[in-house]
Amino acid sequence: MRSRIWYLVAGVVVAGVAVGFFVTQYLNPVPPQIAATTTSTTVQGRPVVDFSLTTVAAVGTAGQGNGQHTNWVGYLPTTYLKVPAGAMVHMTIDQQDGQTGLRNEYLGLVRGTVNNQMTVDGKVMSALDPSLAAHTFTIPDLGVSVPLEGVADNAPANAQIVVEFNFVVPDKPGLYRWQCFVPCAAGTLYGNGGPMQSLGYMAGELQVG
Amino acid sequence: MRNRSTAIRIVVIAWIVAAVGGDVALAFGPIPPGQASDLASSESLTILLLAEIAWPVFSAVLAALFFTIVVNRLAPSSEEVSGAALRGNTRVQTIWIVTTLVVVLSLAVYGTVALAVDQPGDGISTDSAALPMPGSASQPLEVQVIAQQWWFTYRYPSYGGVETAQLVLPVNQKIEFHVTSLDVIHSFWFYALGVKADAVPLNDNVVTATPTQTGTYRVQCSELCGLWHGNMSDDTARVVSSSDFTTWIQQQQTLDAPIMKYLPPYSHTYEPSPTVYGS
Repeated sequence: MRSRIWYLVAGVVVAGVAVGFFVTQYLNPVPPQIAATTTSTTVQGRPVVDFSLTTVAAVGTAGQGNGQHTNWVGYLPTTYLKVPAGAMVHMTIDQQDGQTGLRNEYLGLVRGTVNNQMTVDGKVMSALDPSLAAHTFTIPDLGVSVPLEGVADNAPANAQIVVEFNFVVPDKPGLYRWQCFVPCAAGTLYGNGGPMQSLGYMAGELQVG
Repeated sequence: MRNRSTAIRIVVIAWIVAAVGGDVALAFGPIPPGQASDLASSESLTILLLAEIAWPVFSAVLAALFFTIVVNRLAPSSEEVSGAALRGNTRVQTIWIVTTLVVVLSLAVYGTVALAVDQPGDGISTDSAALPMPGSASQPLEVQVIAQQWWFTYRYPSYGGVETAQLVLPVNQKIEFHVTSLDVIHSFWFYALGVKADAVPLNDNVVTATPTQTGTYRVQCSELCGLWHGNMSDDTARVVSSSDFTTWIQQQQTLDAPIMKYLPPYSHTYEPSPTVYGS
């Protein structure tokens, strides 16, 4: 009789742990993260690392969540990024999405990058006409914000705009959120639902260190 | 009976010591939100006043509770007996009612006066035009707080409508915050200055405060507003000297130069745009 009770207790404990594990994993999933590509270049003693991201109007099956939201706008391959502390990040974004426009025109300004500049298809720019923006790459706590020009409606199929910029991350390890500030979530209230409110699409985390 | 009288004396003396000691400690202790602005000082004074009045009352309740539990307690072996019949006591009732009335009415008068005098226009929408550049500390400097998911930005209409992502204010200068939102409801909370105002789309909420201490402070959103609400904060808001502010605002004007032609004319509210989302 006593051994049955112990079996029952053990069974309840195992089931509880299993349920707890499932719930915590569901609520706090470990997302796939990409690390920056290291280079042999240094600038003022800082290692230069490369990142390449692509913005698309619909992530398809390549997005987060195993194809749950194939028609959501998003950054690919992921929005979870990792860079070494103190590095200079050379970011290249292949911008394939169309123009929406910024809600706050001020974010058309390039801020927090080296010389507060970006290059758009090779052309150096300090600001973008806010109405042409498709997305932004913004890390508020680092003061980094770069508007991404959208592909014009009359552009040829598969057209894209290549945006490049450099920024320096802190010397101390930390976790920084980043996001898009264009209300680009088609089909949602004020364009701020769905992918704007979900990590892995138009929001992500930059792990430093 | 004699023991009971002694117990009452002890409890009353203990209450007086606790009440006076607590009030003295409150008077010398830190009271939130502090003294970083006239508004914060006013709020601290109100909190201190309420606490100074509430503490003796609270400790009296504790003392009465202690007396009841300890002195009036029946031994477990005692038989249960009914207490003496309660009789009216005009003197006690009069003291109780008059004291309560004086405390409550005094606080009501104090609160009403503070509300009316301290913050004229607090939280009230306004459609006043952009103010001229302040020439004196008594002339308010208008600073617009623009909230959007999930960042605050700030416009300074007195300086050509320049917009920044960092809040910097001159010390001893009356600031008129105009708080609005571009999307959902947020709330702008500058705790150290005692400033808190809802940021509502198409609404202009106005709060005035005069920072009196230089330093670096935190501002944050205090209205649940979506995914990154918990991160909608900034620990780099600064109150600086007048000359440092002038230098800083000139730097911002230079930094903003490439975007100025695209910024909308300064307004107390902004229509949500664009109207087509995504492509």
